Amino acid sequence: MAESQLLEEKKSLPLLRTEELLVNMGPQHPSTHGVLKVVLTLEGERIIKSEPVLGFLHRGVEKLAETITYHQFIPHTDRLDYVCAMYNNFAYVRAVEKLLALKVPDRAEYLRTIIAEVQRIIGHLFWLGSQALDIGAMTVFFYTFRERELLLDIFDDLCGARLTTSWYRIGGVERDFTPKIIDDIYKFVADFPSKIDEYDTLLVNNRIWLARTKGIAYISAEDAVSFGLSGPTLRGSGVDYDLRKVAPYGAYDKVEWKVPLGKNGDTYDRYYIRMEEMRESTKIIKQCLDQLPEGPYLAYEPKVVIPAKDRVFTDMESMIYQFRLFTNGFNAPPGDIYCGTEAHKGELGFYIVSRGGGKPYRLKIRAPSFIHLGAFDHMAKGYMIADIVTIFGTYDIVMGECDR
Amino acid sequence: MAKQQIISLDAPQKMFTVTVDGKQVTVAEGTPVFDAVKKTGVELPAMCYHYAFSPFGSCGICLVEVEGKSNNVRSCTAKVADGMVVRTNTDKMIEARKTAVEKWLIIHPLDCPVCDADGKCELQDLTYNLGVYDIKKGVKKQVPEDTRSLVLDFNMERCILCGQCINVCKEVQEIDALAFYKKDGLTHVGAHEGVPLHCEFCGDCLAVCPVGAITSRFSKYAYKPWQLKKTQTTCTYCSDGCAITLETEGSKVLRVTSKLSYLSKFGHDVERGDGHGGLCVRGRFGFQFIQSEKRLSRPLAKVDGQQIEIPWFKAIPQIARKLMQIKETYGGQAIAGLISGRCSNDEVYLFQKLMRATLGSNNVDTAARYGHMNSILAMQKGLGIGRSTTSYKQITLSDVILVVGSNVTETNPVFSLRIKEAKRKFGAKVIVIDPIQTNMMKLSTHPLQVAMGGETAMLQGLVKAVIAEGVAFSGFMEKYPKAYETLRQATGSLSEESITQACGIAWDKIKEAATLLAQSKRGTIIWGEGIVSLSNGQDNVFRLMDLAHLCGLLEKPGAGIHPVCEENNEQGAVDMGGVPEFLPGQVAYANGRERFEALWNTSLPNAVGLTLPEIIEKAHQGEIKALYIVGENPIETLPASMKVREAFAKIDFIICQDPFLTKTGQMADFVLPATTYAEKTGTVTNMAGEINPLAQAFDPKGESRTDFKIFCEITKQINGNAMQSVEAVMHEINQSVPGYFNGERPTINPEHLAHYFENGFAEDVIKRYQGTNTHPSSDVVNDGIFRLVLGQSIYHSGKLSTQDEGLMKIYNKPTLKISEADATKLDIKTGDWVRVATATPNGPLPLVAVEMQESLPKSSVELAIEIMSSLPKGMVWFPEHFTNLKDLMEVEVDPVTHVPYFKSGLVSIKKVPLFDLSVVSSHSCAINRGEAAQPQDMNSPSPSL
Amino acid sequence: MTIRTFFKNVFFQEILKALKLTFKHSFVKEVTLQYPHQKLQLPDAHRGALGLLYYDDGVERCVGCDLCQAACPSHCIRVVSGEDQENGVLRRFATEFYIDMTKCVFCGFCVEACPVNALGMTKLYEYSTANKRSLIFDKPRLYEVGKNYYNDAKAYLVAHNQEKADESAEAWRYRFPSFTKQ
Repeated sequence: MAESQLLEEKKSLPLLRTEELLVNMGPQHPSTHGVLKVVLTLEGERIIKSEPVLGFLHRGVEKLAETITYHQFIPHTDRLDYVCAMYNNFAYVRAVEKLLALKVPDRAEYLRTIIAEVQRIIGHLFWLGSQALDIGAMTVFFYTFRERELLLDIFDDLCGARLTTSWYRIGGVERDFTPKIIDDIYKFVADFPSKIDEYDTLLVNNRIWLARTKGIAYISAEDAVSFGLSGPTLRGSGVDYDLRKVAPYGAYDKVEWKVPLGKNGDTYDRYYIRMEEMRESTKIIKQCLDQLPEGPYLAYEPKVVIPAKDRVFTDMESMIYQFRLFTNGFNAPPGDIYCGTEAHKGELGFYIVSRGGGKPYRLKIRAPSFIHLGAFDHMAKGYMIADIVTIFGTYDIVMGECDR
Repeated sequence: MAKQQIISLDAPQKMFTVTVDGKQVTVAEGTPVFDAVKKTGVELPAMCYHYAFSPFGSCGICLVEVEGKSNNVRSCTAKVADGMVVRTNTDKMIEARKTAVEKWLIIHPLDCPVCDADGKCELQDLTYNLGVYDIKKGVKKQVPEDTRSLVLDFNMERCILCGQCINVCKEVQEIDALAFYKKDGLTHVGAHEGVPLHCEFCGDCLAVCPVGAITSRFSKYAYKPWQLKKTQTTCTYCSDGCAITLETEGSKVLRVTSKLSYLSKFGHDVERGDGHGGLCVRGRFGFQFIQSEKRLSRPLAKVDGQQIEIPWFKAIPQIARKLMQIKETYGGQAIAGLISGRCSNDEVYLFQKLMRATLGSNNVDTAARYGHMNSILAMQKGLGIGRSTTSYKQITLSDVILVVGSNVTETNPVFSLRIKEAKRKFGAKVIVIDPIQTNMMKLSTHPLQVAMGGETAMLQGLVKAVIAEGVAFSGFMEKYPKAYETLRQATGSLSEESITQACGIAWDKIKEAATLLAQSKRGTIIWGEGIVSLSNGQDNVFRLMDLAHLCGLLEKPGAGIHPVCEENNEQGAVDMGGVPEFLPGQVAYANGRERFEALWNTSLPNAVGLTLPEIIEKAHQGEIKALYIVGENPIETLPASMKVREAFAKIDFIICQDPFLTKTGQMADFVLPATTYAEKTGTVTNMAGEINPLAQAFDPKGESRTDFKIFCEITKQINGNAMQSVEAVMHEINQSVPGYFNGERPTINPEHLAHYFENGFAEDVIKRYQGTNTHPSSDVVNDGIFRLVLGQSIYHSGKLSTQDEGLMKIYNKPTLKISEADATKLDIKTGDWVRVATATPNGPLPLVAVEMQESLPKSSVELAIEIMSSLPKGMVWFPEHFTNLKDLMEVEVDPVTHVPYFKSGLVSIKKVPLFDLSVVSSHSCAINRGEAAQPQDMNSPSPSL
Repeated sequence: MTIRTFFKNVFFQEILKALKLTFKHSFVKEVTLQYPHQKLQLPDAHRGALGLLYYDDGVERCVGCDLCQAACPSHCIRVVSGEDQENGVLRRFATEFYIDMTKCVFCGFCVEACPVNALGMTKLYEYSTANKRSLIFDKPRLYEVGKNYYNDAKAYLVAHNQEKADESAEAWRYRFPSFTKQ
């Protein structure tokens, strides 16, 4: 929407008294995905300026990290992006492992990849359901949550919790897959592509959906890069950047998959990419399960990894490590590292400054939601006020991660 | 166990160059390889090493590779050689160290969950740091825990036999209570021969134990080190002012630690002469009074003869109103104040300001009056400074130390370690003068056990010997020839024979000691309660100063004189103007009055203030109308012959401020609950004049308030303005006593010396050296008449420690100590009961009269008796912390310094047959008439005795 | 615009397709549960309310080592340990034990940390109350939970590799070293 066009409209109504209208949207608004507040400056129905106001969900997680050991921080990462706790865990433990230069066993890498992709599907399902709901398509919400529920049950079976999982550990994972879990995932993976088709049936040609998403929240590839966007929001503009390909981790480099890209950089393209990513994830999960190697699921690094319980009961040295690691934590080498992980929202990065000892000196979380909100004004300018909900949704914003 | 080498501070040392991991380092001959490695910054792990004592070499972890030697070398025991090439971190060494740790892990029980040391355990640290894992399985030791001792439990399953506990006991404490012994084929640690341990319980073995083999019964299983909040503060028992760490959980102290632990074993920030950082039994185990149930939590006010609890907001205005009423009616001189030597500097400053500036009374006195004032007033007059002229570090590095009249190992146990260290590590000569064969005398190089009351003659003799031998310090003779001449003439009249006869020491020995001290490079004179709390205290301090002048101890660098006092902040209380003679900064009242009037913006009273004995006397005369007592307990401290109770009964208005309800508190109109040191911030000054911080560990118990806050509120109630914070008071102290908190130490002013030598010195000297038998306590003692001396026990400090459950558990049944010879004569064995009664040199006072007239303070007391070989013939000894015998004492008040002397007196002793119990109990009732039952009924005989 | 698209638009073809799909779902078995009447079958690994456990012979497992307190990332556990001197045996045990369920994040670290497997997570999730204070579980309450849900807790420990289901579990029991009073 060019500003000249706005100017034209203004000129055509010279007799009316016009002034800009300031609207506070949120923080208690059902479609702000949490407690985001946006101060909108409106010119009639058009958005002139939008200013996100953050901090309503600020909990000081980064500061908290400085007071507890690296291991103890894992449950706190669950609460960043509370929709996709596994990814936060994954991103965090990867950062710490990078700091420690810790090698994770092969099986653990596969397990992590499988669960990360399951979590990606959950995230996209959640996004799809709520975005469709926000736009007005309620049925999709029920369908996506039905599948999401199946996956959350797998999580519950795997680690004992559906949302706050804390399943990843520094050096591996907490618990191995049981045969039942493997069966469940296989079953899901076999079934899921047909479900994606169902969602497509409901949405992909739906004229309301198209009208509400096509051309909305457009951002050019250059702008997307300079705003630091990542994930589907970036790839929707056609930038081929996926950390799983660019800097492979886990088992991503051992399986076949594609990075879906958009062309127009609008909400519809991002929707399309997310749908495709779910299909790709299904492929990744299937391949990983097929290739799943035998072996330990947790690295044997007594100075870092908490010893197995049976050893604690019988070995003096394991008992000592158990006490030592839970009270003081391990001795991280001094230094600072940044480690980014491709979460379903975008690049979730952890920056850790260590001065030795068991606690981080400083821990900074690069949350994609926070970075994406930086482009909010740019992407919302000129659209109608009715589109604002779509624009929120297009980033897949979670305020828990944004405010930290 | 290699005997520790004496480090000569004076002789030049041969320097060797050693290469450690490619770095060159120069060290003195005889240095262990370990220290050379330490100097390069490499930290070798070591389990049995501690810088404070000689290497033991049992753990085999500090291994290094030495070029030219095929075997691994234990770096702690090996000495450096010139050109030695040492490698520390080769793979072979790391493996060897791991093996050494494994050796202990294999047999170590899986006790971490229940072990008190878990989290602060060297075995854990080494296992983790060296990365020992995947060790082979072994058979664990099976030894029952030794819980027979009162304080310390020994768990031999956890013990790694590093021997540090034994070494610290033997070498640093020089007590030698612990040893290895064999039982059932296993090596144990405990008291010699495996008997239940009963020692001084300094707890240094507990502190150095790198694992949980030695644990404290007082905090057993109650904590894990990582849970505890650590507060760095200062111990408030004796005047050593040791730095302690209160480890607390909530508002409960769970243990007290100090720098001494396996974490400080490498001595990184320790310089020569810094001490080992340990504590004594009082500091380490006397923390339970802080959380005592007996502590007051709300103010008490006397209504119709009953003390009832009232809220603070009523108590403070009532007190302020009453004080102002008395001030307006009778004038400021009708108000008096007493403050304890355990209060912080800020509190004493505020108290004296409240008394002087707000209430217009100069009648303010502190616990320093019980003896330390003798030292301060004498030093003020003679030198112009009223404090020690040396420091702990200098004392440790002294080459000759003279200890006079101070049972320093009992009164100031940690300070005494400095003397021990000077002797053991640096080869100092220690001369001890005391009528009792104290522990320090047993350890000394020159023990001089004088006859009872022979200290005066001994000091005269030393002064005479220095002059007669011609070894006096030339600097003094050149600078003050007139003073030297005066001394020479005065001592010339004394005959060697009379001195020898009065003190019971051969002239040769006196001569030897005098020569040693005069020719010392860094000599130190230390004196204590045996001089200042007995009559003629001030004169003896003057004699010691004469000796110091003649030996050049006030001129030579590193030399000095050092008075030992009792309570932790006596020195600071005097510095802060807590005595009528001085305003803050030890400024004489008349000299400083104008300056302080300007500073405080008020007018100060004209009247010269009253000292403690004068306050009591004036109270008898009814001239004192209000008395404000802070932390003091004169009724229980002073003997009955002072008639304190009667005097206090005549005072209209008594405020007593104390954490506990004392006997004095029971007489008070208002009792204000104060806090202990754990609950307040501030500073205290130790006897060497060092300022140490007090830090708050938790909030005051119940509604109790810090003394500081109470003074502020009363001041605010009276005149509407008061200090807001401790910092504000410190700022004001910095204005009134410049440099006090900046470590600026007053030095001896040569002008003051010259002035004193010109004016009055000659007359004083002539008086001081007139005759030999000037000490009244050297009376001829008849049969059955003994000189009773009240002294300090190591387990207690003042009356405060008797409120402590822990210390009372260790020592609560005081016994009268008697010499072996006298016991044989009276046919007394340890555990017998005797009747002690006041006596005159001619014989006991008639007992019947005493019993008839109950109001007379003199009476008799029955006590269990114990034979103590170190006592001289004719002396009996009793700990002053317990009030059983103090009422038998006569009080003599020093005419100059007003110090009440009551720690020595004549008593008669008679054996009481054990079956005659009815007599015993009736007598004790007579003594304790009208007083509440004592907490631990010490007078009643227990069947176990 | 082709004829085909025109007809598609006029007859709302994509909407009809979607309606057909939703209509088909009328005949699919429902996936929801009628909660208070029907209850979810929770997996063994489920992390529910915490309970303290006894050994089979009725001895309290907890020795009061406070490691759960140290491991807890939300600082919701408080253990007060003390000395138990019954039967002449010196024993460390927890005199008080509190878990603040309002703070608990159900991460299971305390169970992972416990060197005696005294803590277990149960499938108990219905303890909502009108009185918030009663959510601070004290020692008797925790032992009660552990007793009533012992099988759940045991299953949890086995599922999370904390304890073995078979006889060898008995060998892991923490035995106090011979702390007999001499």
